Amino acid sequence: MSLSQRQLALLLIAPGFALVAALFLYPLCFSLVSAFTGPEGGFSLQAFAKAWELYSGDVVFTVVIVVASCLLTALLAIVIAGTLTLGENRYIVGTLRALYRWPLFIPFIVAAQCMRTFLAKNGLMNNSFVAMGLMEPLQAVSFLDWRGIIATFVWKQMPFVALLLAGALAALDRATLEAGRNLGASRLRVLVELALPQVMPQLLVALVLSFVTMLSVLSVPMMVAGSQPTMLTVDMAFRINAYGDYATANALGVITYLISAGAAIIYLKRGMAKEGTP
Amino acid sequence: MRILTLACSLAALIVASPLSAQTLNVASAGDQNMVDYVKDYLAPMFEKSHPGVKVVSVGTGPGDAGSQKIYEKLDAQKSAGAADFDVVVIHQKGAGLMVKEGLLAKYTGNVETSKLVSSATATNSLGADVGGFVIPMFQSQTALAYNADMLKAPPATYTELKDWAKKNPKQFGYNGIKGGMSGVSFVAGWVYAFGGDANKLIQGPYDAAEKTKWDAAFAELKDFNKSVVITPGNAGTLDMLNRGEIAIGPVWVDMFYSWQADGKLPPNMKLKLTAPGMPGQPMYYAVPEKSAQKKLAEEFIALATSPQVQADGIVKKFNWYPGIDAKHLEGKLDKAAWDKLFTDITPAELSQNGKPFPIAPYFNDILEGYEKKVAN
Repeated sequence: MSLSQRQLALLLIAPGFALVAALFLYPLCFSLVSAFTGPEGGFSLQAFAKAWELYSGDVVFTVVIVVASCLLTALLAIVIAGTLTLGENRYIVGTLRALYRWPLFIPFIVAAQCMRTFLAKNGLMNNSFVAMGLMEPLQAVSFLDWRGIIATFVWKQMPFVALLLAGALAALDRATLEAGRNLGASRLRVLVELALPQVMPQLLVALVLSFVTMLSVLSVPMMVAGSQPTMLTVDMAFRINAYGDYATANALGVITYLISAGAAIIYLKRGMAKEGTP
Repeated sequence: MRILTLACSLAALIVASPLSAQTLNVASAGDQNMVDYVKDYLAPMFEKSHPGVKVVSVGTGPGDAGSQKIYEKLDAQKSAGAADFDVVVIHQKGAGLMVKEGLLAKYTGNVETSKLVSSATATNSLGADVGGFVIPMFQSQTALAYNADMLKAPPATYTELKDWAKKNPKQFGYNGIKGGMSGVSFVAGWVYAFGGDANKLIQGPYDAAEKTKWDAAFAELKDFNKSVVITPGNAGTLDMLNRGEIAIGPVWVDMFYSWQADGKLPPNMKLKLTAPGMPGQPMYYAVPEKSAQKKLAEEFIALATSPQVQADGIVKKFNWYPGIDAKHLEGKLDKAAWDKLFTDITPAELSQNGKPFPIAPYFNDILEGYEKKVAN
C-alpha cells in the first residue's frame, strides 16, 4: 500500500496541525465561549458590559502605550540600523554593533526590575544627573508610570526591530545608495528617501510582531507602574485572582484579540498588496 | 535451615521497623518559608519529644490556591478510609469551606493551648463559624510604615491621615488594589473608617444594600488618591520608603521586619497601626476529620501553639505576630525580640486595631466598588 502525494502531505502536517489545534485553537475557542457566556449559562454580553464599564479607560491606555512604544521603537531602530549601514565612523559603528543587541537577551521581567530602580524618583538615573550637577535634587521626578512602561518596552523591543531592519538594509543594492551619495544627497536623505522605502515591509513586520508582544506583557506594567490606570493584562490577572471571574477576564482577552487583529490586518493587507503587484 | 529462618525474620524485622513507626503528615498552604518552618523547626523538636515519630512536611503552594489544593485532596478522600494529611495549615477562606463541608475535626477542646487564644479570628473566619476547628498559627498584619526622620508624629487615625496627605502631597504611597494585599488592606481599612459599621462587614450577615453606604467614602478616597503616589506593588511601597520618595505607606509587618533585618530598609523606619484599624489575616492549624492520628496531630499542634514555640519560632525567627494572645509571650522572649515586634505597635493596640478582613461577599463588593468609583 502506498500513500499518494496528497495523503503524504496531509500526514506530514498533521503533528503541526494537532499542536496548533490543541495549544492555540482549543484555548481560543474556550475563552471565546466563556467570554460570551452569562452567569447562568447561555449567550450573554454581560462580561463585555462589565469589561467596558470598569476597564474602558485601560483599553485606551493600553492602545496608547503600545502604539507610542511602537512609534518610538521604529524611530530609534531606524537611527541605529541607518547608522550601522550608512555610518562612516568605524568606531561608532563598531561600538553600536557590539552594544545594541544586548537587550534582546534580557527577559521582560528582568528589564522591568532594572527599570524599577533606574527610573525611580531617587533612582539611579536621577541620582546620576544630580551627581553630575545637571539637575537639582528637588527637580527629580519619578518615571514609574506610563513613561516607565514605554521606556521599558522601547528599550526591550528596539534591538529586535533594529536587527531585522539592519539585515534588510544590508541586503539592499549598495549601488543605488552610492549613486545617491555621488549625486550629492546627504546620508540622512539617502536613508529616508532611498533606503527606507525599500525596506518598509520588513520594518512593518518587525513592528507588528513588537506590537503583539508588548500587548501581551504582564510583568512590565505590573512592576514598573502603579495600577491606575494600567494595561489590560494586569486587569485580566486581577479579575481572576481577586474574584475568580473568568468571564470578564476572557472578555478583556477578546478585546485584546481585536486590538492585535487590527495590527494583523495592516500586516496582511501589506502582504497581499505586494503579492498582487507583478 | 533454622539459621536461614532466623536471618529472614531478622531481615523482615529490620525492613518493617521503620514502617511500624508513626508518621505525621503536615500539609502547609503558603510560601516556602512556612514549609521550612515546619520541616526545619517544628519537626525536629516534635520528633525529639516523641521518639519513633516521623514528621513529613509538604507544601501545597502560596495563597488561597494552596488551601484550595488541600481542600480538593480532603474532599476527594472523603469516602476513603483515611486522609493523607494529619495536620493542615490553611488560609481563612479555605478554613470556612472545609468546616462547612465537614472535612475538619473539632479538636481544640483537646488542646490546652487553645485557651491562650484571644483573637476573634479563631472562631470567625471571613464570616464562617470555625470555632473549635482551628487554632491560629500566626497572625500577619498590615500597618503604616513611616520614616521617623521625615515624620515626627504619624497620623493616628484615617481622618488625620486624610488631612495630612492633603497638606503633604505625594508623601503617602500605596499600591492600589491590583498590586498586592497591602493596598487592598489599606482600602478595606478606609471603608471600615468611613463606610459605616465595620463590625457588620467583619461579622456579617451579608446584605447587598450595604455597599450603597460607601459612596461617600469612595468619593473621598478618589479625592485622596489625587494627592498620593500609587506604588508598583507591596515591594514597591517598601522600595519607595527605602529611597525616601514617600514618607509613609501601608506594608505587611512581617515583610517590613524581614526587609529591615536584611538592611533593605533604613533603621529609622517605624510602624503605626492607625485607628480604627487595618486588616490582617491568620493562618490556621487544623486536623482533618479522617486523619488516622488525631491524638498525635493534637499533640503536634499543642507544641506549635505553646508560648515558647510561638515566641522563638513565630515571633523571633519569622517576624509574624503570635497566634495566641501576645501577653502569654511576655517573659518567653528576650527583650530585644520583644521590643522589635512590639515597640511601635503595642499588644494592646494590636488587639484593638488589628482587624480581620471583611467577609467574602463584602470583600468583593469593596474591591469592585473601588474599581468602579475610585480607579475609574
